[in-house]
Amino acid sequence: MDFLPFLVTQCLNALSQAALLFFLGCGLTLIFGIMRIVNFAHGAFFMLGAYVGWSAVRWTGNFWLALVAAPLLVGGFGAAFELGILRRLYGRDGHAFLMVTFGLTLIMGEAIRLLWGVEALQVQMPASLSDIVFILDEPFPIYRLFLIGSGIVVGLAIWQFLERTRLGLLIRATSQNAEMVHALGTDVRLVRSAVFGIGCGLAGIGGVFAAPMVTASLGMAPNAVIDTFVIVIIGGMGSFAGSMIGALLVAFVQVFGSYYFPDFAMAFMYLIMLTILVVRPGGLLGKEA
Amino acid sequence: MPGLHRRALLVSALASPVVLRHALGETPIKIGMPVALTGPAGEIGAQMRRGAEFWAKHTNAKGGLLGRPIELVIQDTGGDPAACVRKAQDVVERDGCRLLFGMTLSSEALAVVPKLAEWNAVFMSSDNGDGRLTGSSLVPNFFRANTSGPMGTRAVSLYLRQAQYKGFYAIGMDYAWGRNSIGVFKDEVQKAGKNFIGDVYSPIGTKDFSTYITKIRQSGADACFLVLQGDDNAAFLSQARQYRLPDKVQLLTEIVDLNSIAATGEASVGLIGSSRYSYTFPGAANAEFVEMWKKEYNTFPDTFEGEQWQAGLILAAGITKAGSIDADKLRPALENIEIDSIKGHVKIRACDHQGEQQGFMVKVVKKDGVAKPFPELIATFPADQVTPACGKMTYDS
Amino acid sequence: MRTTIAMAGLLALMPLGLPPYAMTLLTEALIMGLFAMSLDLMVGYARLISFGHAAAYGLGAYTCGNILLHTEIPLPFAVLLSGVFSGFVSIGVAWVCTQATGVSFSMLTLAFGQLLYAVAFKWTDVTGASDGLAGIPRRPGPFGTTFFAGKLGFYYLTMACLFGGFLFARALVRSPFGAVLRGIRENEAKTLSLGYNTRLYKIAVVAASYMLGGMAGALYAPFAGFANTELLFWLLSGQALIMTIVGGTGTLVGPILGAAFFLLVQQQLSIYTDSWALFFGIIFIGFVLFAPEGIFGLARRRRPAESH
Repeated sequence: MDFLPFLVTQCLNALSQAALLFFLGCGLTLIFGIMRIVNFAHGAFFMLGAYVGWSAVRWTGNFWLALVAAPLLVGGFGAAFELGILRRLYGRDGHAFLMVTFGLTLIMGEAIRLLWGVEALQVQMPASLSDIVFILDEPFPIYRLFLIGSGIVVGLAIWQFLERTRLGLLIRATSQNAEMVHALGTDVRLVRSAVFGIGCGLAGIGGVFAAPMVTASLGMAPNAVIDTFVIVIIGGMGSFAGSMIGALLVAFVQVFGSYYFPDFAMAFMYLIMLTILVVRPGGLLGKEA
Repeated sequence: MPGLHRRALLVSALASPVVLRHALGETPIKIGMPVALTGPAGEIGAQMRRGAEFWAKHTNAKGGLLGRPIELVIQDTGGDPAACVRKAQDVVERDGCRLLFGMTLSSEALAVVPKLAEWNAVFMSSDNGDGRLTGSSLVPNFFRANTSGPMGTRAVSLYLRQAQYKGFYAIGMDYAWGRNSIGVFKDEVQKAGKNFIGDVYSPIGTKDFSTYITKIRQSGADACFLVLQGDDNAAFLSQARQYRLPDKVQLLTEIVDLNSIAATGEASVGLIGSSRYSYTFPGAANAEFVEMWKKEYNTFPDTFEGEQWQAGLILAAGITKAGSIDADKLRPALENIEIDSIKGHVKIRACDHQGEQQGFMVKVVKKDGVAKPFPELIATFPADQVTPACGKMTYDS
Repeated sequence: MRTTIAMAGLLALMPLGLPPYAMTLLTEALIMGLFAMSLDLMVGYARLISFGHAAAYGLGAYTCGNILLHTEIPLPFAVLLSGVFSGFVSIGVAWVCTQATGVSFSMLTLAFGQLLYAVAFKWTDVTGASDGLAGIPRRPGPFGTTFFAGKLGFYYLTMACLFGGFLFARALVRSPFGAVLRGIRENEAKTLSLGYNTRLYKIAVVAASYMLGGMAGALYAPFAGFANTELLFWLLSGQALIMTIVGGTGTLVGPILGAAFFLLVQQQLSIYTDSWALFFGIIFIGFVLFAPEGIFGLARRRRPAESH
């Protein structure tokens, strides 16, 4: 392969990985930014999205339906959890959230195993997306292009949601000054439930997107969690734009790093995370914690 | 959720030693089995468990061993070597097991074997691939009934000598088995006078193989050797198909099992690889086993289920010959023991406790009238060509 | 002090009554107890929440493993040396991490922990990469005794390390040094304004914490005869944090109980059901909702007259 097609292919690979990471990252950063909750269970919600997506495709035969249904279900479950359990813990210190979300990860991981079994499940890609397109004579799966497109669309949608809608405004305001929002008459608790639900729903939709590519499997959760944390830390906890930058950075480093220096790719990524943290403790675009 | 409840009960009933003990009145022979039932290797561990339970049930129905029923003590290790050491110690100390099965990953086995002498327990491996277990890390109480990684790799390389491929690439999971097998492969390719272009290792749990696939494409190889298993294998095969990699590069693999075929569907068609066990193997013994299995589970037996069955047969032969389960008597009885198994003739060598057996190459094909793709036997190699010299992991010719 | 001696006496008598597999579990519980307690020094007394404490454990384990595999140094000295080495290495780590505070500090500890994991994963010569070091022996000595190599002797060695570590930590937190730590925990700005170099204190407590944590890891290596990269993975750091919190932070004793509880429940549950993780998670959430001060807090609720 010549250099230019290779470079373009690798960049597209990186962008498609970044898209998946972005779904995970923006959900986590939203939750942290508004609620100061470090959601250990985020990877589990991602995994749940993949499995629910698999079931949805099985029952309805329609991938697009699954794409809509799964995040709603997963987000709904997240919101319910916030309502039932997390809500009682707001007065307490951060330890409580850590424990509870860790506990939730264990529960969800095992529940998924009981409901869906140990084997990796193949999700059928919709026929319209399963072909390839030739970019500079090199085949590239259309599905990955779809992923990149979806990432951009969802990113724009969330940005507009935060900027233009009332709920978005409330969310941004709550992250800055929850008491004032409360004093102005809004039930902050509802905002929090909505945010947690949306954050988990985003993780869930990431899972549905990922499933046809990587198959739904029980190992998804722990790997997703650490990747997500790295992105959000690099980009800045609580910064939506930061999660995008973090996702891009991590994806490119992983793709090009594992190509040229496969032995050091992992270490390199953590080294970058460390360097950024030392230079800017809040992350690239985060507020100083 | 009634279905869940029923399934959970069924599972615990199957695992319950009580069911087996009351069938015969004698003190049972306990076999400890720390195995990965959860985690990325969970599917393989589940196969090993089923294989062991089926063997135990079948043996007990015929009167057990030495007139005593077999009792399996199965524990989940999650695929973590530290947990495996803990569980193995537990079944030895708490349940008094003197015999061990299981230990799904080679890294788990490598962690446990140094302790076998201290526990005076014999371990019969049914799936560990790493060559060192019968080489530099060999301990007297370890026996390997299954095809090892080097043996599987050797079958692939022998097959390649007749094939037209010139340049080879390799991708493996970044741990003991992956590195070991690719090392052997590289040696074989170079001995055959062909070109070994390069290799790459992916961390266990890799989800996105796009960059590795691009690398393989770019290398100019016309064949690529895969040393992947479980979820990683499924993900790689799916994505390779998405990038149309098999059109350009023939994929060869060290292990072909039904589970990855089921997980990847069409994406696995055309795959050529070594098979440690397949229900499509010839011979009356295998046909009989497959029939019995189908009657019990309504499905074909998979790779590790068959390997576990063979391990059980060998252990049983050794115990019968020794007249005891005591390690000091069992060890010499197992050395040089020979049986006719579902894979043909198998002999446990005295020098390094490796089971000498044939090597098999299969190709995943889709045929009309058969719902799913299946592994078709394309080549068989005799035991003396496939098994390495004593204690070695590489081959002289 | 009396309670401490009573506990020591009780534990010393355990080998008489317990069967071998229970002794194995107890030994491991004591090792984990030391590990969780070492984390409590940072978390409970200085509010430095570390998500990377597995680094201390792994460092200690690999150091001790290598010492025992390649030299003739007696087991007890290998353990001590490894602990000191961990503490020493952590000074550099702490210097970088304490540049930040709060959540950023925690994230930095996570980054370091994972970096160490990634390095260990590849450094085959020293760590055996993902397969780890196997067959770690328990070297005889000092003076050629093989007492510590046996099950009983090793148990007493572990006990000695735990109690030694506990006494050391307790002396530390009761000293003027500990008072400054509490000041940092309650209000760092104020402590700083009083003229204390809070950063140095923080680095010191991290070093002490790593030293004890490293000792725990150093005990694990010869205990299991095995050390691998899983000992450095963030999951273990998370578990240590859970043990500390479940036991009760800022108490030193609580985390020891938390570790024992964690290990016991995990072991017992996984024997009876494949779904042990499910019940485990429920138990945690239960603790958070109904017993926030942890096990130690629960115990204290029942005996309000008890003073330490």
